[in-house]
Formats: sequence, C-alpha cells, structure tokens
Amino acid sequence: MSYFFQIVVSGIVVGSIYALAALGLVLVYKSSRVANFAHGQIIAAGAFITFFLTVRLGVPIFFSFLASMLITFFLAMSVERIFLRRLIGEPIISVIMVTIGLASIFDGLIYLTPFGSENFSFPTFLPTESIVVGGVSISWTQLVGVIITFVLIGCFSWFFKKSTVGISMRAVSDDQFGAMSVGISVPRVFALAWATAGLSAAAAGCIIGNITGLNFETLHAFGIVVFPVVILGGLDSILGAVVAGIIMGLIQQFASGYLDGNFGLNGTGDVMPYIILLIILLFKPHGLFGIHEIERV
Amino acid sequence: MKSKTALIFNALLVIVFVFAFTLPASAGTTYKLGMSLAITGPTSDAGNPYAKGAEDWFKFVNETDYLGDGDIIDCPIRDDQYKNDTTKRFFEEFLDDGILIFLSYATGGNLALKRDFEEVQIPVIPASYHEGLIVDANYTFMPVATYSENAVSLAEYVVGKHEGTDTPKVAFFIHPSAFGRGPLEDTQKAVSLGLGIDIVEVVEHGTDLDNTAMLQRLESKGVQYVICHTVQTPVATMLTDAQRLGVTAATFGEKGKLTFLGAHYTGGSDLIALAGTATEGYIWADSYNLTSENNEGAKKQLELAERYGRDDKAANSHNYGAGILAAQIATEAIKETKKAGLKVNRENIYKTMQTLNFQSFAAAGPVTYSPTERIGVDVQNIYVAEGGVFKKIQSFESQYIQKVRADR
Repeated sequence: MSYFFQIVVSGIVVGSIYALAALGLVLVYKSSRVANFAHGQIIAAGAFITFFLTVRLGVPIFFSFLASMLITFFLAMSVERIFLRRLIGEPIISVIMVTIGLASIFDGLIYLTPFGSENFSFPTFLPTESIVVGGVSISWTQLVGVIITFVLIGCFSWFFKKSTVGISMRAVSDDQFGAMSVGISVPRVFALAWATAGLSAAAAGCIIGNITGLNFETLHAFGIVVFPVVILGGLDSILGAVVAGIIMGLIQQFASGYLDGNFGLNGTGDVMPYIILLIILLFKPHGLFGIHEIERV
Repeated sequence: MKSKTALIFNALLVIVFVFAFTLPASAGTTYKLGMSLAITGPTSDAGNPYAKGAEDWFKFVNETDYLGDGDIIDCPIRDDQYKNDTTKRFFEEFLDDGILIFLSYATGGNLALKRDFEEVQIPVIPASYHEGLIVDANYTFMPVATYSENAVSLAEYVVGKHEGTDTPKVAFFIHPSAFGRGPLEDTQKAVSLGLGIDIVEVVEHGTDLDNTAMLQRLESKGVQYVICHTVQTPVATMLTDAQRLGVTAATFGEKGKLTFLGAHYTGGSDLIALAGTATEGYIWADSYNLTSENNEGAKKQLELAERYGRDDKAANSHNYGAGILAAQIATEAIKETKKAGLKVNRENIYKTMQTLNFQSFAAAGPVTYSPTERIGVDVQNIYVAEGGVFKKIQSFESQYIQKVRADR
C-alpha cells in the first residue's frame, strides 16, 4: 500500500512543479491571448541567475532566490516593453512568432555564457535525508518546492481575485476594448502579466534546477513540457494549471509505476498524459477550466 | 634621376617589408582538417570541452612544430548545435575546402553521413562511440571502445563481482534513441551468447522530475544492478532519487539495493557536479585517463589546459581529454604519413590510419588500429565514484563484445 501512496506523493510533487512552471504561460495568455514560446528560456534564466548570485557572488540562497525573481520580473517586463508592446492589436500569430524569435535570441545569449553548455548544481542548503512517513518518502527539496509552489499559486490567486491590478488584468483578459473604455491601461496590464510570468518562471527554474541540476537544455525544455498541462487546465485558468499539473503528475507516476515494465510496455509515463489529454479535449475542447467563448455573429 | 632611383628603392623596400610581414610565419605545408560538433545546444556540456581539447592540441602542434618542417594543421571547429542538417552542410563545405580528415560528433549526424563518408572516402574520427558507425564502414575510425563495449563490459563486470549463485538481475536505463538502444541490443546479443545476466527491464527515460515509481518497481522485481547508457542529467536525477529513497547500494551488489553503473557519457566530473554525494559508489566504464588519477598522463592534460588558459572544469573533464585524443589521432596520422615518405592526401592518410599505433596521455591505453580493427583504444578503465571523484578500480577488456561482433 505504501507503494501506492508513494506514487501519489510523487505525482503531487511533480504535478505541483509542473503547475508552477505552467503558471507563467497562463498569466501571459490570460491577459494577452498569447502563447509564450520563450517561457522555457525565462525558467532557465531564473535558475542561472540564482546560481550566479549564490555561487559566484556569495549571496545567501534565499536572497538569491528572491533577487532572481525580481530580476526576471523586470527582464520579462522589459521584453514586453521592447518587443511586444508595439504588437498590441496586431494578429496573435505575429506575436506568437515574435515569442519564438525571442526564444532563439535568449538561447543565443545564454549560449554566450558558460551556462549554455556546462552543468552546475546549487550548493546543498537543505537536509539531504528524506522525510519518511509511513513508508512514504519525500525529500526536503521536493517538499520545499511544493510549499513554494502552493504559496506562490495562493498569492497569484489572491492577486487576481482581490487586488485592483489583478482585477484590471482579468478585465483586460475578458474584453480589451471594454477594459480600455473604463480607463484601464491595457499596455500596463500586458507588462504586468509578462513581469509576473517572469517571476513565477524564475521560481519554477530554481525548484526544477534544484531537482535535476542546472543544465540549460533540461531547464528550457520545461517550457514545452508544461504545454499539455496548460492546455488540459484551460489556457486562461490558474486553477486549471494547478489541477491539470497535478493530474499530469499523477498520471505520469501511475503509468510509470504500474504500466511500465509490465505487459511489454515501456515509456508510458511520458505518453499517457498526452493520451489522457487527447481524450479529455474530445469532451472539453477548452480544457478543464478554460472559458468557452461563444461569439455572436 | 636621383629622386627616381630613390623612389624605386623606397618602393622596393616597402614591397619587401609588406611581404616580410604578410608571409606566414611557417614556410611549411598547411594540412586542412574540419571539425563539426555541438559547442552550443543539446549535449554541448560534452561538446564544448571536447572542442576545447581538440583546439588546444592543434594549437600546441602548430606552436611546437610537432609535425616538423614548419608544417601546420588548420582545423576550423564549427558549431552544428547537434543538428544533423547543419553537420551535413559543414561537412560539404569542408569537402570543398579539401580537408584530409573529418572530425565529427553525434551518433545521429554520423549515421546520417555514414554512406557519404564511404563514397567520398574520407577518414572520419567521431565523438560518438556508437557501434553502428563502424559496422559495414571502412572510413570511420573510432577513437576508443564503443558504447556497446562499455555496456557489455559493465555486464561482464557485474557477472564477475556478483556474489551468490543466482543470475544477477539487471535493468537498463537508456536514452530513447539509437544512441541509447544500440548498446542494449548488443548486450542482449551477449546474453543470448551466454553472458550470465538476466535483463529484467529496460527503461527509456523522459524528462523526469521524479523516478520514485521506476526505482521502486525495479526493486520489487529484484533488480540489483542498473546499467545506464544516456547523458548525465537523467542519471543525476535518478541517483538523487535513489539516495532519497535509500535504495542505493552501500557496497557493490548489496542485496535488496540498487548498484548503478554507466557508460562513457553518463559519468565524469559533470555527473558529480549534478548529483553530488548521490554519485558515490557509481561504477563507470570509460577509455579515458582521468585527471583525478594524478598520473603522468593526467599531468600532461592539465599542463596543456593551463598553457591555453582553460579553467579547472574544462581541464578536468574527460570530454576535454576526448577532444585531445581525437586531435592526436588526426595529427599522428599526418605525421606518420609524412614519415613514410608518402604524399599527405586522404588516400595515404587512410592507409596510414589502418596501422596507426601510438600512446596518448589522454587515453587509458594505446591507440591501435589495424586493417580489420577500427577501434583505437580497446582498454577501458572501470572507475568508481568515491569522495567526490572517480577512482580507477581496474582496466577491463570485454570478451563478449568480440563474440557479439563475430556473430554479426
């Protein structure tokens, strides 16, 4: 039985990290209807900034973590200001193409540094022993990762529901022209959406980097790995990202735990989430929590 | 008239000066080679130090007149970012430049160009040690033992060290590609030819954040040994998870626990950088001499790195040593061709390479090619991670890989 619960715990751990990594995609899409293909590069940048501050400059890791979130906050805001602001009102596909171009530019910039082609790891700052309860084990790295994920998701949920800026962002997401007509600055909302996405990406990067080690290819791949999570949850739903992340994590772990190595199957942990995704999308094309928009023609 | 003479004299002086400063320092021959590999992009953690090793060796050759007569090697190193189409383009450009030897990189790129190498009849030194590159191929000269040789050797090592009368239960943890599957297939052939292991499960990994389910499943199936053939990052995540779950064997083959072993690209200082203490006890098969061995070869590698201002990370990487060895093979081929009094062209270099035999400080054993043998260094070292470095346990030459090859 502990095997079953171990898989549940692992699924929740993996799923919540997926959710955090997916959050940035949701935030940008929610406000601007744009799928950001440079999200993985921002995840990697956040992790490397934390590493640089901690290891090269000797800043305590907790402060490095906060500082990297702050830096990526302004980095993503600058990206929006420089490259994307002038595309407001242009076809969405143009904006998406720009994000693909940005991904290439970020790749190139990171390749110019040692982070583009070397492996690193964060210094050990948490106990290396696991926490074992009833035969179910979880590492401190994972536990802290899950806690940070839920704290951040809680903060973002509160921000969107209660704060004036958050409500403005939701308004822009619902109807740009309507929001403008009541005095909301759409460009400012876009900038904030990108900035908060950058902030969450840095947090995700640090947590993933602490688990897998710091390798640029591995880190930026998560920008793509979490796309199914976002699609399953609904592109514009934070709750959807959380629920879908955990569903994906659980499916992956259960498939790996119970199907792989049996019945001649292998690698189902990677495939099953996509199969389930396709099945769910057959019935709910906008994802589990996505808004089904009906346009009157 | 006087001023006209002075003008002509001055003009001649200028011409002499211009020629004096524009003529190459070397009056000898320039031998052109070409190298394409991933300095950035996927697997560049290996490709980057590999490129540095090759670059430093060629610089050293040119600066010390290693080839004699002022001859130098010109080897442009180009970044293909692990893209096969880019590798192919670079290869074609290099051919137009008249290169003598192509120093290539990835398994995919080499497999894609395998027929081209044979058609063009150009000697190739790859950074991929995939066995398939030398099957039905004459022009590919593998620098060291193949991945298959690594995997089969590790399986043989397990058989030799396993305590108890039961057949050791082994799982394979591999990259989901031809690169990962090739060594598995050869190990399966070795098993069918009598190698005494039971391959209980094969895991083709993905981008995993948690390997708990997989590790517990392997344990429940009685697996004692996990042989890895992939790159370092997934191995590092698996080792960290195994440490957390307490399933890592404290001693080799400890009952009820998992002993992890791996081939060339799974180990090295990068694995330790990624997985830290979770690497302890990891067994690694590799044909390179590590700087942690602190022997004469290691000192020479470190001296070369220091001479060209490389940082500790690059200097101590086995991939830096691999780049040096590839460059050394090309250099020795040119040198021996010259020594034999032959014209240095592709055809004669190919002939020379078939009997090339020399000792490299970067390798675990001598480079020995023959007309029927396309693997340079047959010897492998079995290393174990201990105290944050890999230490040599013993040298190893696989017996079963010969049987597998004979059975093809």
